[in-house]
Amino acid sequence: MSVTGPVASRIPPNRVIPALALSALVLVWLLDLGTIQPNRIVAGTGHGLLSSLGWIGAGLVTAVLAASIVLSMVPLARRYLLLLGLTGLSLAALPLLLEVFASRHLPEDSPYARSSMGAGFWCLLFLLSLMLIEILGRLKTRRSLQLMLLVFVCGSWLTLLRSDGLESLSLVREFNGQGGQFRQALWTHLALAFGAVSISAVLAFVLALKMIRNTAWRRPVLGAVSFLQTIPSLAVFGLLIAPLSALSSAFPVLQSLGIRGIGWAPALLALIAYSLLPMVRNTFVALTEVPESLADAGRGMGMTEGQVFFQVKLPLALPVIIEGVRITTIQAIGLTAVAALIGAGGFGSFIFQGLGQAAMDLVLLGALPTIALALLADALLTMLAASLKPTSARS
Amino acid sequence: MIELRNVTRRFGDTVAVDRVNLTIETGEVCVLVGSSGCGKSTTLRMINHLLPHSAGEILVDGEDTTAMNPQQLRLNMGYVIQGTGLFPHWTVARNIAMVPRLLKWPRQRIDARVDELMKLLDLDPATHAHKYPQQLSGGQAQRVGVARALAADPNILLMDEPFGAVDAITRENLQLEMLRIQRQVRKTTVFVTHDIDEALKLASRIAVMDQGRIIQHDTPENILRRPASDFVESLVGKQDRGLKLMSLRPVRDLMTPHGSPKPSRPGADVLREDDNLRLALSVMLWQDLPQVAVFNARGEETGVITRERIIQEGA
Ligand SMILES: Nc1ncnc2c1ncn2[C@@H]1O[C@H](COP(=O)(O)OP(=O)(O)OP(=O)(O)O)[C@@H](O)[C@H]1O
Ligand SMILES: [Mg+2]
Repeated sequence: MSVTGPVASRIPPNRVIPALALSALVLVWLLDLGTIQPNRIVAGTGHGLLSSLGWIGAGLVTAVLAASIVLSMVPLARRYLLLLGLTGLSLAALPLLLEVFASRHLPEDSPYARSSMGAGFWCLLFLLSLMLIEILGRLKTRRSLQLMLLVFVCGSWLTLLRSDGLESLSLVREFNGQGGQFRQALWTHLALAFGAVSISAVLAFVLALKMIRNTAWRRPVLGAVSFLQTIPSLAVFGLLIAPLSALSSAFPVLQSLGIRGIGWAPALLALIAYSLLPMVRNTFVALTEVPESLADAGRGMGMTEGQVFFQVKLPLALPVIIEGVRITTIQAIGLTAVAALIGAGGFGSFIFQGLGQAAMDLVLLGALPTIALALLADALLTMLAASLKPTSARS
Repeated sequence: MIELRNVTRRFGDTVAVDRVNLTIETGEVCVLVGSSGCGKSTTLRMINHLLPHSAGEILVDGEDTTAMNPQQLRLNMGYVIQGTGLFPHWTVARNIAMVPRLLKWPRQRIDARVDELMKLLDLDPATHAHKYPQQLSGGQAQRVGVARALAADPNILLMDEPFGAVDAITRENLQLEMLRIQRQVRKTTVFVTHDIDEALKLASRIAVMDQGRIIQHDTPENILRRPASDFVESLVGKQDRGLKLMSLRPVRDLMTPHGSPKPSRPGADVLREDDNLRLALSVMLWQDLPQVAVFNARGEETGVITRERIIQEGA
């Protein structure tokens, strides 16, 4: 990035960032930035940018977006670094807009009144995030730096959302209303999703080994796990209710363990069933695609079969196996939300409660963390897989 | 010493190796040569029991290999695989250290050995030790393959087309290095190739194979002078056998030595005692000289060789 004058003048203008910033500018002026509801259920009244923030605030938002358009067009060597600072800070400070909005419009005398984010705010958030991704791509930053930026933005959001100024925000109200249940839901969600992924990983590993040793196992195993995948998820959850309740009423021991027709047990079983296909397929393919000549080289030099497996085949297959774990984890986190329908708990319970009560903010309280969890798992496992590929990481 | 007695290997109905008898003396380089699919790799892989033989017996130092623990057998046999077979997830150093690690050598000894081997094979440890196989050129990868086979100082070396996928010049260099190393470490070597010139250059004895059988097993000179069949004759090349024979003999054999070595005279491309006669003749033809001076390894002039004598007695 130490580009000097004459070279800098040849830097082409960026086209993506101005387009995104311009759209953000138009949308944030056209759409409502926030709404005020007198209570939880009644529809609120929307406020545009100017009305929400006043001249100073609206001017500031406009200025930041205009500045990023200008910055991305000028042939300046360090413009992406400047843009990174600008968008990063704007994203981190975004909840402040809501705070200003609430302080200007929230009626002081009504304790049930709440503020919530309008379409304009969501658009701003979305487009700023896209701009940040584009800038990070142009800068070719290291993953650790990207992660730090993510932590910074998320940390700033969490701190601001917990501050007094945003107490009236409907999402915060819902969170406070749920009390300890949010944490409970988080743990249930994590336990169900990761429990299912771990158990199916072990099962898939055993099945893949069987399939490699014994070709007769291949077709039936792959057929069975593919068949499981084709049943709609709701149907699996439903279908498991009857046999499990029969089982638990027949064996009281199971009841004392919490295994019933509804609850975590059928949810876990269904999640495992769904996770098996991607896991088995990736593990099997990964292990069989290690060239036989390499295994042969190992044997020819005196390795035992065990050493060939653990020192040659497994390490070479690991990136592809982890790719399977990644796909499965994302899928399981999403499906766990559906499992709330049979009383398994997790973030899905907020979503379905919210749908039942027509309280969209409660739906968001369930949906947003589910998405965040999936993105986080995706990022971490991608990093893990990349770090295990020796040459691509270092050459 | 390796002995194959009536060894046969079948794959289903096809007979890949057919009643082969072959004795490889300790310290000699036996080159298996023959066209593609004639059973060279199969023979090699039966020696370290990667493939069990269908019939016959294989003895290593008098002991039947079927009775031995295969891991123990293989740890004492360096194996260079057709197409290098380096492990892509290990660095060059880790690849070379493979067998010493299996043998649980102490760390320092392994490091020292890896360093030593890389230098022996003309690979700079500082630049190459931490590279991955994909980052090497074909020739470098094959050197690493040879270094890996030599690592634990095995008594026996099995090499399956170790210099297969490289250009002529690199190949020539690797062959010269192989000869140099063989002079230093003297391993009982079974070397597979389909290149007859490589076989003539490296072998103590050559075993010519065709369709799973050994047609002739003899010294390079005898293979050239007295080919056992039309197949061997066409393999070694009917017409240019004269020149090939010349390339088997060193200049030392036919030079006229001086009474005592003369003091050294500077010159880069001088003829040396252990260059072959073919090269000497080529030099004289090119420079249009009736005779040239011969130098020893220390750069002293030790004699002269004449064009006339080469032509009379060379082949
Ligand atoms: N695993 C196997 N299954 C069936 N047939 C095999 C197997 N391995 C080798 N063969 C057959 O045995 C014969 C000899 O094969 P081999 O690999 O020994 O040839 P090669 O002389 O090494 O040839 P190349 O120079 O091409 O390496 C061939 O006809 C081959 O098709
Ligand atoms: Mg072969």
